[in-house]
Amino acid sequence: MNPLRIALPKGRLQNETLAAFAAAGYGIPTEDDLRTRKLVFVRDGIEWIFVKDGDVPVYVEHGAADAGVAGLDQILEQESTAYQPVEFPFGRCRMMLIAAPGAPPLTKVATKYPRVTRRYLESKQLRAEIVPLAGSVELAAVLNLTSHVVDLVETGETVRVHRLELQDLVAEISPRLIVGKHAYRTESKRIRALIARIEEACHANLQR
Amino acid sequence: MATNHRYPTGVLPLLMEEAARRRCIEARFIEVLERAGFAEIVLPIIDYAELYPTSKDSYRFVDREGELVAIRSDFTPMAARALAPAIAPGDLPLRIYYRGDVIRCNGSRLGANREMFQIGAEIVGGDPAEGDIEILRLAADLARTLGFEPSIVYTDSSLVAALPALRPVLATKRMTDDVPRTLRTLAEKLVAGTAALEDIGPFAPEAASRLSAIAAALPGFEMHLDDFEENGGYYTGLRFRVYDAQSRTTLAQGGRYDNLYERFGTPAAAVGFTFTIV
Repeated sequence: MNPLRIALPKGRLQNETLAAFAAAGYGIPTEDDLRTRKLVFVRDGIEWIFVKDGDVPVYVEHGAADAGVAGLDQILEQESTAYQPVEFPFGRCRMMLIAAPGAPPLTKVATKYPRVTRRYLESKQLRAEIVPLAGSVELAAVLNLTSHVVDLVETGETVRVHRLELQDLVAEISPRLIVGKHAYRTESKRIRALIARIEEACHANLQR
Repeated sequence: MATNHRYPTGVLPLLMEEAARRRCIEARFIEVLERAGFAEIVLPIIDYAELYPTSKDSYRFVDREGELVAIRSDFTPMAARALAPAIAPGDLPLRIYYRGDVIRCNGSRLGANREMFQIGAEIVGGDPAEGDIEILRLAADLARTLGFEPSIVYTDSSLVAALPALRPVLATKRMTDDVPRTLRTLAEKLVAGTAALEDIGPFAPEAASRLSAIAAALPGFEMHLDDFEENGGYYTGLRFRVYDAQSRTTLAQGGRYDNLYERFGTPAAAVGFTFTIV
């Protein structure tokens, strides 16, 4: 029997995601493991892979990973069709439309999420040019490259420091366990067991 | 002109060995299909695009007469369009098969396999319950012909339509707070994978009776009542996928489409599948 392969996001969600799997009783790769150049870690009969957060839905969509953990921001941006059976209690934030200092009229929006932003603008019947950026998106508004940005807001600290203005909620974001349709159809027993363990661990964590 | 070794994304020639391998698979398929009473039809490689509003991922272009045409991206509606005008009620049931390439501009977002060789078969008309079982059995036989141990997962595509309030739950596989009280027990069972035909019977009696006939006839096949597709396409009833039990790769997919022929002028129920040969 092939091992299940689980894709975990590097970066913002990595530590808490690993903690969630550890709490569910999975033998996860250790910090020493992660410092090596290895790409695939086998623990507890599961193959763990670590990829950039936006790539998790891509691996899962194409069946290169059976399951993974991804923020709703990346799930929406990658137009993932994967199931999202568990919503994690950590890493919650909001995707917001943010205006440059002085709140100029909406003309250009810088974002890491061009597809989500396009759908948002269409749903609000707004017209603006979308400027896709790879990171430090607020800077675009601070330097007047664009009138607005669409980005994640966790504490709101960046927004306050740069006197930007939160204008509208685009989406409430939470990380989810995602499971590919292919894996769900062909490995339903093992996948359901995985979901049950993670769900139970999250639930226990919430009650503590 | 400089020699160019490149091909457009997603297409490749098959050289001698690969071509021989494909012809060998094709020959074995055709033997099984003809023995089962299926007759071949040959369909054109291009057709008017407006006839296939659901085939969104076809390559389209304007021909010399100024008509918008599409390259074949899905055999099923083309077979319906070709057969519908030719069917007299006395002809049914018809058992047909077809083979050839389809080309999809989004064959996969990874850019691979835009051109795919497919062999498909369908039963037009006849008793729907018997047709569903016959087509599932045939798909399993063909998978074995290829040397695979088939694992077949099926559902009824009308279930999602019968339970619109459960769409978000089915799409995510997670309970949400907005599930109506009357549907909570069912939703919980669907999410947990414990829902049985008795549970969906009150909400989708026709689908439940169709599925129960299949479950009784084909006990080794896996029924997944919670299966979900964003866009069910033209499917109206049975929906299934055939996997290789060992490697879990997809071999074939298919289902029942009872409204497709009507769109082309002759109402007729039909059920079929397509194998993609790699």
